[in-house]
Amino acid sequence: MFTLIFLKELRDIIQSSRFTISFAACSVLIILGFLMGAQNYLGSLRQYEAAIEENRNQIAAETNWAQVDNSIMLPPRPLQALVNGISNDIGRTIPISGRGELRPQNTRFNDEPLFAIFRFMDLEFIFGIVLSLFAIIFAYDSVNGEKQNGTLKLCFSNAVSRAAFIGGKLAGSFVGLSIALLIPILIGCALLPVLGITLTQSEWIRLGLIILSGLTYFGIFLAIAMGISASTARPSTSFLLCLVVWIFSVLIIPRASVLVSGRLIEVPNVDEIASQKNQYRLQLFDEDREKMASFEGSEETEPQDLMREFSSFMGELAEERTKKVELFSQRLNEDYLNKQTEQTKLALRVSKISPSTVFTLASTELAGTSLHLQNVYLESANSYQEQYGKFIAEKTGQNSGSGFRMIVVSSGDGEEEPETLDPEEMPQFEFAGLTTEQVLERSVIDIGLLVLFNIIFFGGAFYAFLRYDLR
Amino acid sequence: MYRLLILKELKNILLSPKFSATLAVCSILILTSMGIGIQEYNHAVSQYEANQSLARQNMEQANGWGRVTQSLHRKPDIMQVFVAGLHYDVGRLSSINRTRDVKLQRSPYSDETLFAVFRFIDFTFIVQVVLSLFAILFTYNAINGERENGTLKLAFANPVSRIEYLVSKCVGIWLGLVIPLCIPILVGLLIIQLTGLPVSGEDWSRILSFLGLSMLYLTFFVVLGIWISSLTRKSSLSFLLLLVFWIASVLIIPRLGVTAAGQVIPTESIAQIEAKQAAFEKARWQDYTRQLTENMRERADNMTNMTEEERASYQEEKEWDWLEQDDAARKQLQTDITNNNRLLLEETRNKQVIQQALAFNLARVSPASSYRLAAMQLATTDMGMKTRYEEAMRVYRDNFVELVKRKQDETGQTGGFKINIDSNRGMKIDFDRNNQGIDISEVPLFTEPKPTLKASLVSAIPDFGLLGLFILLAFGGSFFAFTRYDMR
Repeated sequence: MFTLIFLKELRDIIQSSRFTISFAACSVLIILGFLMGAQNYLGSLRQYEAAIEENRNQIAAETNWAQVDNSIMLPPRPLQALVNGISNDIGRTIPISGRGELRPQNTRFNDEPLFAIFRFMDLEFIFGIVLSLFAIIFAYDSVNGEKQNGTLKLCFSNAVSRAAFIGGKLAGSFVGLSIALLIPILIGCALLPVLGITLTQSEWIRLGLIILSGLTYFGIFLAIAMGISASTARPSTSFLLCLVVWIFSVLIIPRASVLVSGRLIEVPNVDEIASQKNQYRLQLFDEDREKMASFEGSEETEPQDLMREFSSFMGELAEERTKKVELFSQRLNEDYLNKQTEQTKLALRVSKISPSTVFTLASTELAGTSLHLQNVYLESANSYQEQYGKFIAEKTGQNSGSGFRMIVVSSGDGEEEPETLDPEEMPQFEFAGLTTEQVLERSVIDIGLLVLFNIIFFGGAFYAFLRYDLR
Repeated sequence: MYRLLILKELKNILLSPKFSATLAVCSILILTSMGIGIQEYNHAVSQYEANQSLARQNMEQANGWGRVTQSLHRKPDIMQVFVAGLHYDVGRLSSINRTRDVKLQRSPYSDETLFAVFRFIDFTFIVQVVLSLFAILFTYNAINGERENGTLKLAFANPVSRIEYLVSKCVGIWLGLVIPLCIPILVGLLIIQLTGLPVSGEDWSRILSFLGLSMLYLTFFVVLGIWISSLTRKSSLSFLLLLVFWIASVLIIPRLGVTAAGQVIPTESIAQIEAKQAAFEKARWQDYTRQLTENMRERADNMTNMTEEERASYQEEKEWDWLEQDDAARKQLQTDITNNNRLLLEETRNKQVIQQALAFNLARVSPASSYRLAAMQLATTDMGMKTRYEEAMRVYRDNFVELVKRKQDETGQTGGFKINIDSNRGMKIDFDRNNQGIDISEVPLFTEPKPTLKASLVSAIPDFGLLGLFILLAFGGSFFAFTRYDMR
């Protein structure tokens, strides 16, 4: 009997005008989402490659490794374009000096505010907002609509259990709609290689998981709508209730809970911390001025060697200052980071009562654009800075980043033009990101929560239908 | 007859569960949004004030004009409670110094990424997305629903003209939608007034204009709903058609327009421009060093056949001229670098302006885009906000740098140090006369740029006009459709 109801539901859905129109709208939306994501990725890639090339050119024109201004950029990834997360809100460029605290700058939305007005249409948006709304539209009258048409009584004049009926209904709607959604999704996936975007095996797995999470999330709203339909007598009432639930769980709870609970924990002012660090740096420099003024080179040394000696002396002082500043910064940052972690934990814990939050967290984690992206990028940049610092030390005998420009003017005769640098010699930055295992480990709880929500809401729908008055 | 029909429509709506649900949802949404908006505004203000005093304190503590730095912050605006616009996405501060050009960086969202994941929902978002959906819900069965219930025939059994009926429907539904909106809006405005937020007369005018704009936008969806309802026989079909239109106009077209413009007119990234700036800066410094070397050699050549005493006397005589010559070259270097940096940025900005114009023109096919763009203009959180601030900060920087230079000349505090290496005398490091403390009373104050209400209204007029045009078209369409509507 379950199969019969399942097939009947499937047929009902596929033959309805609601399905035709929604399927057309969803297909356009999903395919456009993939297309726009792909174009966005290709555009970002062009910008990234041009910036890297420009950086390389300016290094190649330099003649002294100590004077190189190096910077790294967060490389765009295809999954970032499909699920944006915070990738457009964090600084992409980091100047690398060989030592000192790193500060990412140039966020996409600050550089190109045009894209911040309407934002991008990514998979998280499509599943999170649009498809959840479609789930409601499909299921709001699934039970009370049958009652209104008189088909519910007709159905139960046969030997049908309530469990088989509601189970068949839910499974039929879910499978029918999921297959319908999978068609444009698969077309979208097929478009990626056609447009010249190559995904690694790991990225395909992660994209697959994002889609699966999206469908699980879609299932939650189907179950909610069905539960509401089985708790109300009229479809118009159930639609209104469903809409209210949708507005709360998609629009209000995730934002309000994060903003309100986030502000419950006072995080120190970042500008104040930056100012303290700067003041300390200046104070240390003032202390070093006396040492600099009293510098005396070795006797009877050639000016070039004397300059080298002085440069090395300055490098040592700068190294010492940097260590002190780093220690001071660590102390300041520790309190800030602890408070920030506490704030994030509280805010996310509270907001996870909404399936929408859970889906957002799961999908951004899988795409590598979650809140962790900034830390992962910084860690990667720090380890690169270490390599770069060593390289510069090897080349120049000291680490760079003394923080001032030294102009060496010699009144001696006919010196040879120094040779320009080869940027290929220096270590190249490679952003690895998290491995698939790490990503899975981080997102498994949220995926589990999505499944749990499905079970709970289906249980709710089942319970409501058991008590439903069929007359 | 108008009055009767409007009252009937209004009564129908007020007594329906639709109204109760709308009232409840609107109240919660609008009040939550305003509450959070006020909380975020207060947070931004306290951060801004703390930063202002920090910047002043840092200047006061500088021990010489050569060491003084300044940072300017974007001032939070009360209108961001209603229209966040680009406030959270654009950098909020720029350092002001001799060597670096103005650059707004560290947007609120880049500093607090947690809040970037679940972005702030402002009043504009509520109207643009949620209330337009409610408008559809109120109107999708306005005509065909009455036909389905048989009440349309009944209504026209009385001496009612079609235009009277249509206009009354529009007005009645519009009132039914606006009433549940007015209550939370008034409560929200009262809270703003009671919490003592600094709302000026001009701000109130902006808020009122913005509310007027929101009503205009909702009117479009009300009229559109009636149009589609009079084009179709079944309310289920009109609902689906309206939903598709809503998705296309609210969610797809604005984004599509922007993405398409980004593809048609690509611009350079700031990282790329900065690399170009760095390359020019380096090349210019090399030129400068080369020139300085040549000057030194020339000066040394002039002294080759002199005795030690003649050399010392010659050096003493020429020292001032040489200093002036070197200083002029250095000033020219800084000017060249600044001009080049600005030129490169200007080129990109010009391209961005063309890109924006194309993006907005494409996006304006949808009333949702017109609404958002006009709202941002009225709230001054629009696309021009970043440019306005950066330009005002540049003017300030130029004045500030000029003042610092003047003060350095007066006090002899260069902030740097000079190393002389002589094969005979060895190495000598000269620090300037620092550690003197400075009086910052002459440092100019930064005035935040804010367009006047008139300027904002003028910029928003095309979008107001477009919304008006959309309403007229939709009303014309509904009138035409309804006059041909088969009431049986």
